[in-house]
Amino acid sequence: MNVGLLLILPFTGAIATFLAGKLNQKYAFYLAELIGFTLFGLVLSIFLSYERPINVAIEWFSFGNATLPFGVYIDHLSLVMLLIATGLGALDIHFSHDYMKEDPDKPRYYAKILFFIGGMILLVSAKELLGLFVGWEFMGLASYLLISFWHQTKDPADAGVAAFLYTKFGDVFLFAAIGILYYYAHTLDLQYINLLATWHQIPDNVSFVVAIFIFIAAIGKSGQFPLFPWLMRAMEGPTTVSALIHGATMVNSGIYIVARMFDFYVAAEALVVVAAVASLSAFIGATSALAQNEIKKVLAYSTMSHLSLAFIGLGVGSLSAGMTHLTNHAVFKALLFLGAGAVIMAARHNKDLFRLGGAWKKLTLVGLFMGVGALSLSGIPPFSGFYSKDAIIAGAILNPKTYGLISTLTIIAGVLSVAYVFRIWLLIFAGKPRDIELHERIKTPSKFWISLPLGIMALITFVLGFYQKELSEYVTGKELPEAHVEYLLPLLLSAIILVGFIVYKFYKSRPDARDKLAAQPLMKTFHKILFNGYFVEHMITWFVKNVIINSVSKTLNWIDVRVIDGAVNGMLNLSQKIFALFNATHTSKVSNQAGVMILGLLAVLVVIFIGSLV
Amino acid sequence: MSYELLIFAPLALSLLVYIPTRNLGGTKYVALALFVYMFSKTIELYKQLPEHGYMLLGKFLEVKAFDFVLTLQVDRLSVIMLLLTCVLLILVTLSSWSLTKKPAAYFSLLIFFSGAIFGVFMSTNFIWFFIFWELTLIPMLFLVGIWGAEGRIYAAIKFFLYTHVASMLILLAFFLIYKQSGTFDMTLVKEAMLTTPALIWWLMFIGFAVKMPLFPFHTWLPDAHVQAPSPVSALLAGVLLKMGAYAMMRMVILLLPIQAEKFAWIFVVLGLLTLLYAGFMALYETHVKKMVAYSSISHMGLIAIAMGAMSYASLSAALFEMIGHALIISPLFLIAGFLHQKMNTWEMTDMGGVMQKAPYLSAIFVLAGLGALGLPGTMGFIGEITILISTIESFGSWMVVILLGSLISASYLIWTFRRVIYGEMSEGVKNANFSMNRVEFFSLLVFAFLIILFGIYPQTLFDEINQAFGVYFTGGTL
Repeated sequence: MNVGLLLILPFTGAIATFLAGKLNQKYAFYLAELIGFTLFGLVLSIFLSYERPINVAIEWFSFGNATLPFGVYIDHLSLVMLLIATGLGALDIHFSHDYMKEDPDKPRYYAKILFFIGGMILLVSAKELLGLFVGWEFMGLASYLLISFWHQTKDPADAGVAAFLYTKFGDVFLFAAIGILYYYAHTLDLQYINLLATWHQIPDNVSFVVAIFIFIAAIGKSGQFPLFPWLMRAMEGPTTVSALIHGATMVNSGIYIVARMFDFYVAAEALVVVAAVASLSAFIGATSALAQNEIKKVLAYSTMSHLSLAFIGLGVGSLSAGMTHLTNHAVFKALLFLGAGAVIMAARHNKDLFRLGGAWKKLTLVGLFMGVGALSLSGIPPFSGFYSKDAIIAGAILNPKTYGLISTLTIIAGVLSVAYVFRIWLLIFAGKPRDIELHERIKTPSKFWISLPLGIMALITFVLGFYQKELSEYVTGKELPEAHVEYLLPLLLSAIILVGFIVYKFYKSRPDARDKLAAQPLMKTFHKILFNGYFVEHMITWFVKNVIINSVSKTLNWIDVRVIDGAVNGMLNLSQKIFALFNATHTSKVSNQAGVMILGLLAVLVVIFIGSLV
Repeated sequence: MSYELLIFAPLALSLLVYIPTRNLGGTKYVALALFVYMFSKTIELYKQLPEHGYMLLGKFLEVKAFDFVLTLQVDRLSVIMLLLTCVLLILVTLSSWSLTKKPAAYFSLLIFFSGAIFGVFMSTNFIWFFIFWELTLIPMLFLVGIWGAEGRIYAAIKFFLYTHVASMLILLAFFLIYKQSGTFDMTLVKEAMLTTPALIWWLMFIGFAVKMPLFPFHTWLPDAHVQAPSPVSALLAGVLLKMGAYAMMRMVILLLPIQAEKFAWIFVVLGLLTLLYAGFMALYETHVKKMVAYSSISHMGLIAIAMGAMSYASLSAALFEMIGHALIISPLFLIAGFLHQKMNTWEMTDMGGVMQKAPYLSAIFVLAGLGALGLPGTMGFIGEITILISTIESFGSWMVVILLGSLISASYLIWTFRRVIYGEMSEGVKNANFSMNRVEFFSLLVFAFLIILFGIYPQTLFDEINQAFGVYFTGGTL
């Protein structure tokens, strides 16, 4: 019963919230918060009373002799995702009270947020690939609607288009995978598919192709190379939405699907592809994050990089490393995003890092909580991020398939995270205010609406650090030998200290040295490449615009008008000329033409009748 | 009441209503009442249908010398089409509620059209089928030619001539069938009776392909749809194209299964070409209604592919997609026409920010668009996934290429939303007054409701659809 309510409440709740909000703007928030925390309560009750996987088989519809199911399956893996989505979702709604205070479209906002959370719940509790796809697409839609929430202005509207189409490109592959799997496996049940693949009941080449197809969809949703540009564009939406997309829900779904089909990936021997693509993405994300000026863009690239690390964790064959990193990341990234939201809100919607600075006194609590998030993100013990990141890097080194380039890129990405996260923390909170006028307008945010959710997340981040072993055992259901590399810890720690020192020098004590270095032509070129995310978006846009629209579509359009329709019109003209010969009183009046046509029709009928009689 | 009146009453009524109401007004009430009545009678008819096969409603106008009997017989397939037609007729009437230009003539023509289309779906005699088939053209010709936009005359004549010429091929096929089998009754003809089944198959295929339309016979459609008044565009897409698809199903596939099996690849090739080609056309289009028209063609390609697979599942999927397409494309046409009416432009580049002035209208436009791109929760998704699964079953995994069509349609629809609904308000939008007639808005709401309802509970429709095709697949194959 709880499960049914869990699946239905977000959607009916979204409608109710919208309608209530139309009556009175305030109701929208309170209803949404109530529903948000109810959902979390429901998940918590399932979590506490959990004995064995909840498994409900439901038939959705049957067409012809085929039947498509829509079941519910909730196990440990789903529960972890559900706790993340609903818990962080509820805190996010709470945070929105102040963040969206002045927005006139609150009913729409809260309805969409609930719809979004509903999509995630549907996705992670689906028994079949089909139900998962439904949730998957719902989230694509919700992210589109939320990213272009401020649709009146150009940039958010464009960003929504990018978000929808980049992820849709991936979604098509997931859709294709569903079609192929249904044909070869005659089922869409995820558990069953995993078993079939493990027993090699599905042809090996088919399962490899399906694994790659599903991974392409995961690339789109989780913002991996080359489908990541939407992730940065998505920063045009409200920051609360960014926290939800980049922390609690959407981007995690790509990792979830690979984790959910982990046995399938193992059997299909596709994990090394996952690791390879992810390591490249991790490197691109981590380096690009260094060169961004906007606080949210840094976090977006960092999300990309950290999701890549989770993918690498899965890719090197460790389900527990990938999933624990996903969990840790979800919490500290939502914390950092909401913290960034608090900063942006306090700084009158200014996102430029170089206009902030010295905000520690005014935003002490936010600074403190963001500091916890930053420490966890950069992987400093005993914070949660350290354990999972360490396990992933160790896994990459120990796995012979990924040892070498992949493990090197992983280490670089892992270490660089220290650099970008401390860069933003120092730029916001340390030193002297760079823009005095702006600094004076900064207002300390509300403790209850803003600092409380941040504090809760910071607390979870801190506590999670001590429960890493339990978490990984909970997810995988068995006790695992820890991957261990002797030289890794000292290596990482010394690298972290070195990088931290450089960042401290450049952004705190010696900004003049930084500026001197940045003025070098070579550094300028580097900066340009990194700032634009390796020009991936430019290339994709160029391809779509010049090749697909202006070449293929334009040519076909020309053919349509000139050749295909031209032939039709040519015949029409010819027949009109002949017709004019017979009928001198020809006019262009429709009624006349129609009359003649009907006469012609009758004449033909009569002639043929007479013919058939003879 | 005997059911033949469903055909003849509207045909006669159209004239009878026109003369007094031309001056008095109120034709729309008559039309609405009639369509609602026809709908209720059709439901009644549906309930009486036997489990399998045809139900004879009557034979009229018997002529001893040759087989020229108006035989009215219906089975589940044809009654499902009748129900769809009724729903669309009612909604189209509602969405023409505020029409001011010669309303009496307009609604009389709609009434006439309803009689003709009922004739198409109810008669099993080839000749009468053909007569009704051609009769539908006449009201359409006038509806496009009188109430259309700037280029209406060209579009109306092109539409008429193009489909009329195609009909000649169909007629020829019917006579060949008569000559070889000795009967005009389509329920009595068996493929084995025919000596030149391939020729007949090709004649009928091309004839119906024009109506559907399939590439390369589609060029009448963008002109006709764009120039037609929007409710008529909705009717064209929702009923007239479905008439082509229905005939394709009934005669090209179910009547000649052996030939259809042999030429299944034609369906696949032309369907794929239609799907992708029309998709690319729509991608390049900046004319909002032409974009919708190409989107409509593109989806008909999908239906053709499903028909070509010729399995129980794929024909069910095709019929579902036909219904879904009718309910999804119609509101898109209606809203595109409404925008044109208010802003006097078709160009998307002149639009933008409609959401700010007409949020609910925009929301319905977005919803219908999401249906067209196959988002779960709408009928479009159910159509797409059933077609994907059933065609892979028949042709193998490479059928995933049809998803390229869904990617392209996502691109042009999302990009259309961006240009029309979202963004900053253009001058045209700022100056326009988007107030909409309540009745017309209600009809859009019904479309939106149906798109979601059958997107979430498709089983209610599939129960009937499965039963309609079950009779043909009792032995497993056609």
